[in-house]
Amino acid sequence: MSPDTVRSELPANQLNAWKDDEAALLESLEQIENKHGFIPRHIAEEVSRVLEVKLERLRKLQTKVESNVRKEVDALVAKWKDEEGSLILILHEIENQHGYVPREIAMEVSYALGVKLARIYEVLTFYHYFKLKPPGRHNMSLCLGTACYLKGAPAMLAEAKSQLKVEEGSTTADREWHLDVVRCIGCCGMSPAMVVDGKTYGRLNASDVSRIIAQTTQPKAKS
Amino acid sequence: MSKLTYADLEKYSKVFADSGLNWVRVSMDTGGIAAGADTVCSIFEKGVGTLGFGMEVRRVGSLGYSFADPLVEIAREGMPRVVYGRVDDEVAKRILQEHLVGRRLIDDHVLAWRNRALTFDGPTTYILVKDTGAEKGDKSQFFQFSLAEELKRCNLQDKVQVVRALDMGVYDAGVAVQFLPSRVTYTNVLAPDVARIVKTSVQGKKIIDDLLYKKPDKQVRVVMRNCGKFDPENFQDCLRYGVYQGLVRVLQGMKPEEAIAEMKTSGLRGRGGAGFPTWLKWQITRAVQRTPKYIICNGDEGDPGAYMDRSVLEGDPHSVLEGMIIAAYAIGATRGYFYIRAEYPLAVARVEKAIADARTAGLLGENILGSGFSFDAKVRLGAGAFVCGEETALIASIEGKRGSPSPRPPYPSERGLFGHPTAINNVETLAAVPAIFVHGGTWYSQHGYEKSRGTKVFAVTGKVRNPQLVEVPLGVTLRDIVFDLCGGVFGGKAIKAVQTGGPSGGVIPEHLLDTKVSYESLQELGSIMGSGGMIVMDQDDSMVEVSRFYLRFCVDESCGKCAPCRIGGYQMLQILNRLVRGRGEKGDVERIRAISKAMQKASLCGLGQTAPNPVLSALRYFDPEFKAYLEGGMSYARKMSANRPPEPAAAEPANA
Repeated sequence: MSPDTVRSELPANQLNAWKDDEAALLESLEQIENKHGFIPRHIAEEVSRVLEVKLERLRKLQTKVESNVRKEVDALVAKWKDEEGSLILILHEIENQHGYVPREIAMEVSYALGVKLARIYEVLTFYHYFKLKPPGRHNMSLCLGTACYLKGAPAMLAEAKSQLKVEEGSTTADREWHLDVVRCIGCCGMSPAMVVDGKTYGRLNASDVSRIIAQTTQPKAKS
Repeated sequence: MSKLTYADLEKYSKVFADSGLNWVRVSMDTGGIAAGADTVCSIFEKGVGTLGFGMEVRRVGSLGYSFADPLVEIAREGMPRVVYGRVDDEVAKRILQEHLVGRRLIDDHVLAWRNRALTFDGPTTYILVKDTGAEKGDKSQFFQFSLAEELKRCNLQDKVQVVRALDMGVYDAGVAVQFLPSRVTYTNVLAPDVARIVKTSVQGKKIIDDLLYKKPDKQVRVVMRNCGKFDPENFQDCLRYGVYQGLVRVLQGMKPEEAIAEMKTSGLRGRGGAGFPTWLKWQITRAVQRTPKYIICNGDEGDPGAYMDRSVLEGDPHSVLEGMIIAAYAIGATRGYFYIRAEYPLAVARVEKAIADARTAGLLGENILGSGFSFDAKVRLGAGAFVCGEETALIASIEGKRGSPSPRPPYPSERGLFGHPTAINNVETLAAVPAIFVHGGTWYSQHGYEKSRGTKVFAVTGKVRNPQLVEVPLGVTLRDIVFDLCGGVFGGKAIKAVQTGGPSGGVIPEHLLDTKVSYESLQELGSIMGSGGMIVMDQDDSMVEVSRFYLRFCVDESCGKCAPCRIGGYQMLQILNRLVRGRGEKGDVERIRAISKAMQKASLCGLGQTAPNPVLSALRYFDPEFKAYLEGGMSYARKMSANRPPEPAAAEPANA
């Protein structure tokens, strides 16, 4: 699940309504307290009973999510189980599907393969390709290979950092942009180059960077 | 497709491959697609239907002229073949209308042919002209005009078109013209020559000797022989160009020992950088008695600035696979792995398609072509770790582990993948193998220099006028590559140095550019040939800065297993950082040398052993620059940083 799909399945207004419920409950409890100076026992018991029911439902939901994760992992493990050294292949698939490797899935993989979680994280943290945090809505990979470096990529990086107000390798607070620095995307013929949301831009300078950021952000602002 | 036999393969290879009088080839490698080849290709695919004659559009690999991406090559009946560069949507539409229908070439987009002729073999129909810039001011337009006027005077304006070219393949040689279709090229053409060019060469079909450009093309394409010729995803197309003919020769008439002997004759050495003789590697692996044996194709091209492996895998995956099958036959391996960077999704997809196609055709699997030899191959993805190019780390990575190198011996040929004997060959090495078996080892070894035989692909990038892939016989000079083939330094500045071998290599200063390129000669200069990245630096580039850049790369990529590399690299980087900020201390240079020595002697794998190379070679040739930082202190550093792009953030530990 990329952040996008999460958002589409759980619209913001519903989430807010749910939050409002809790706020309303707290507010009415406060009113009761103000009125009586204390919260009567029967009311407190009623509230805790309702909350317990809610907690129970949430737990059920949780297991549902977990069983989805399990299903997904089981399918991957079944697909690759005859391969020797399949761990990296499985992690590749997870990374491609989610854009990063979520911790709960890594735990499930560890359980399914019978490999210690530490071993999995040993691999995950070793390779640059695997990410442990979800990517942004837009992702910028700026090439800092030698050719790009010599032809002005550092200036582009500085521009991107100041435009997005984010350090390399991290995501903006609103998860809109993720800025990454990569070593050579193999487009040295049109250096300096960068990849934004899968599209490669070449023969750039610093002002192009801000233009591309503006262009990429724009359509969303309109809608 | 059902299983193929020798006879089928023979039949396919007999079809004249370039047949089909009208075709468009669009270079669809990663570089081309990034430059917009995708939309260009779809414009052609939509457009050819409306032309009223048969026209085939092919998606091919890259010709290597990266500076002119996207590339389009066109054959039109009755017209010479032409390569266009920098084709955007607008130009693609114009090509459809003006070239294919109107039979007129488009100005400013044609690339002149590199395989130039010395005689006219027919009437000239097009003249390419470009000022290759020895002097200031572009005279291309003037010469286009005066040639056209002269032709008009001779009443030839309808028979010959004068076109401004994008690139002539010769540089700093005044105004150059190339006659098509004969490909005769003249250089240093002056205004008074125009009349006699038209009279003698166009009308009389005679060479004007004092203008003729006689130097033959320095490129020899062995590894890249098929790149840009056919659609790598179209299996039958590949067969038509003779792919798998080398395998046929081997399986039909050679014992494994004979195949290894042929490799010995060819003198091919590992193209990944170290230059270990390929035949010897095969023989050692063959000699080990245990089975199963494995073969691995190392496509983990991590050296920033090198992309020849990607180009070959994308443009001609079948030849690499063919090379792998031959190698497997020679060493007796039953399983092969392609280890390819995950950052190269297109290469991965094409290799997977090639493997699937070969398997359906019976070129992989049980009893290949009825020879009794069985072999199968798979793709494994790298995950962005430079150290995985090192063979023991690569093996660990295929096994699904963290890619840390392990001490050698035991060498992989003894105890490699899953503990079994394993031969690891580079993409370029394997791509050269089929050509050796088609043309013979002696043919291959005729190119080359001393102990370095054959050809090598270099990716020339950085501050060079035309960054591109070139394949040259070993033994040409660095100056030939940078100036004759790639046009020298970008923006007319003075060249300072050429960096070869990436983070494991070193810089070669201007006064040594006449060195003949070979494994040994570059090593003597304190660099290495490496995977073939060649980065040109001009007068503005600070060598202290560049060596810091490479060292930072190695520190980032160090796996942290052994102390010399982990700690030594980091400490050295701290010293360089200090130096660049103008806070150098007395004895810093000596300290760098001491740390380097420790790293070279005591590191576990190639990454650590070679990490100090860029710094040491910079110290060797550009010592004054280090001194200037040391003595100049903060004020000097401030002055330098004013010309320098803002500083990238400080290095993080390798696994952050």
